[in-house]
Amino acid sequence: MELQVQLLMNTLQIGSVYVLFALGLTLIFGVMKIVNFAHGTFFTAAALIVSSVMIWGVDTAGMPIWFSYLIAFVLALLVVCIIGFVVYFFGFQHVLKDLNGSFILSIGLLLLLNGVYLILYGGVPRSIPAVVPGNISFLGASLTIQRLLLMIVAAIITIGLYVLVHRTKLGLSLRAVAEDQEAAMLQGIPYRRVALYGFLIGATLAACAGALMATVTPVTTVIGDDFLVKAFIIIIIGGLGSVLGAILGGLLIALIESFGGYYFDPSTATLAMFVLVIVLLIVRPQGILGHAER
Amino acid sequence: MSMKKIIGITGGALIALFSAQTAFSEEILKVGVSAPMSGAAAAWGLGFEYAAEQAVEKVNSEGGIKAGGETYKLELHTYDNKYNAAEGAKTAQTMLNRENINFIVGSIGTAPVKATQALSERKGAILFNTGWGKSIKGPEYPLTFTQMNTPFEILAPFYGYVKEQHPDAKTVAMITPNDATGQELEPVAIDTWNSLDVEVISTDKYERGTTEFQSIATKIANSNADIVDFGASPPTDVGSMLKALDVLGWNGVKVVPAGTSAGTLSKMAGAAAEGTYLGASADFTGDSASDVQKELNAGAMEKLGEALNGITISSYDAVMALKKAIETADSIDPKKVAETLPTIVFESSYGPAAFGGADVYGNPQQILVPVMITQLRDGNAVEVGRISPAELKERLK
Repeated sequence: MELQVQLLMNTLQIGSVYVLFALGLTLIFGVMKIVNFAHGTFFTAAALIVSSVMIWGVDTAGMPIWFSYLIAFVLALLVVCIIGFVVYFFGFQHVLKDLNGSFILSIGLLLLLNGVYLILYGGVPRSIPAVVPGNISFLGASLTIQRLLLMIVAAIITIGLYVLVHRTKLGLSLRAVAEDQEAAMLQGIPYRRVALYGFLIGATLAACAGALMATVTPVTTVIGDDFLVKAFIIIIIGGLGSVLGAILGGLLIALIESFGGYYFDPSTATLAMFVLVIVLLIVRPQGILGHAER
Repeated sequence: MSMKKIIGITGGALIALFSAQTAFSEEILKVGVSAPMSGAAAAWGLGFEYAAEQAVEKVNSEGGIKAGGETYKLELHTYDNKYNAAEGAKTAQTMLNRENINFIVGSIGTAPVKATQALSERKGAILFNTGWGKSIKGPEYPLTFTQMNTPFEILAPFYGYVKEQHPDAKTVAMITPNDATGQELEPVAIDTWNSLDVEVISTDKYERGTTEFQSIATKIANSNADIVDFGASPPTDVGSMLKALDVLGWNGVKVVPAGTSAGTLSKMAGAAAEGTYLGASADFTGDSASDVQKELNAGAMEKLGEALNGITISSYDAVMALKKAIETADSIDPKKVAETLPTIVFESSYGPAAFGGADVYGNPQQILVPVMITQLRDGNAVEVGRISPAELKERLK
């Protein structure tokens, strides 16, 4: 029983970040109909900013860890929003609904930004201290308080996004554009502005995931790329463009990783994810909830 | 004087001057390094590049390499292989085809080394490497030389020492990356543990780039293994796993045969890393370190904030071996240099060293330097054992 609880806790720990990251990717696809291979760079940028600003805040400015982290978190989101705006304005707005164009653009952007991060931060992995140190035990399962906080914050952001998409005017516009761009425009919805908002929300979600993960894992200049592959698997399983699908897919992948990694080994669990994608593409190419929200 | 004469004399003088300059100019000999300069194994690549730079600087400042009546100054070119085969192949193409480099003085990672070797052997270039795979050596690869100790040299004395310190330890859980390095290490490790009456109760593999290790930590903690052997895992990954194991309350014997960067490991895992045994690290500040090693280590600490280890310092040794072999062969022909390398004794950072290992690999392509066993204490690698290869002792007699 304790073991199963531990594995479920592992699933939630892993899944919470996967969900956040994949939500951004699926939102961008839903609204702009593009596949953004540079999505991981937003995650990386936030993680790198948090790691460097936090160390500066604690070591140089003498700030308390939590305050330093708070400043680093906000700064990371701001910087990623600016990067997101720049790449949208100069790049993605010219390739809306263009899969080929966005593929080439985002791959180029990925290489460019990874190179810039490497020049700015160097290749050595960075590690920062836990904002809230200590462990807790729940029904026999152990986890760090930092991980617990991460899960709670990720859950709040996910619920917030769900409310935004389903309960607000902006969310209605996002869904309308995702459903039928021309019909939405005929209803007076400014497509390009909505696409920009969708892109910035997606980038911010990736930044949130990166800023949260920076406290529990070593940060490298390519950390976002590792999550990107998983995120693609998640949104293919959940259904491209589906918010609920991304949540479901994220948790499913985390479940496979947690239980598969335990009962088999991590490599077999990774293989199982790819097998699942292949099977799903054959029997249900639109993903589990691919049409459920359209 | 006519204009024609003036032009003729000036032209002649210029040609003579240019010829004289050419006659006295030194030749440039390009040497390459292919190592992970980014990602989880970047600490290895950065230290590796640093040690190679220092060796090149030393060789050049001492007048370069003399062979065939020429003096050669070394020029170092470093490329990021990201510790994977695809990037290894890409860097090999750049080094061997674009830059026409005939001497690769260091390559890290069995997978990128294999990718590089496929081209270097065909192109007739010498490849020094830190690859842990046995399959990269042998008579069919006459231009490939391993510049650091590998599992066949490290594991028996390393595991033997650990077992000696923890005689009650009966079981071990293994976790290693799922690539050529990990795959080739695993069977040797299992055999070695078994020979010490330690049962390997689980062997797991993970993909490089993995960031979440909770599931494997749960598995190890639940297995109640006395020892965890992290195989060929780089320090960043080991740090993450140790942190996850610490949360779960596991506190057994921690063993990292490829354990090198004590600083990185300590930074990543903090107190959870204390007591970890490292098979490829080194204490280059202790009494047993040579003056060269102390100086190199101090420089690396200052520049990179990370001590050197068995992997990173090996690029220095490769450059020194290359210099001696070229001068002995009196040629920069890679084939002649490769034939000479196993016959020489050269001055490595450890002191006199040579290439041997023909009885294990079928060809003398393995560097013969001491195996150093270290343990992480207060965040530093402290040397607890040093074993010199018997073959080297014979050669030095």
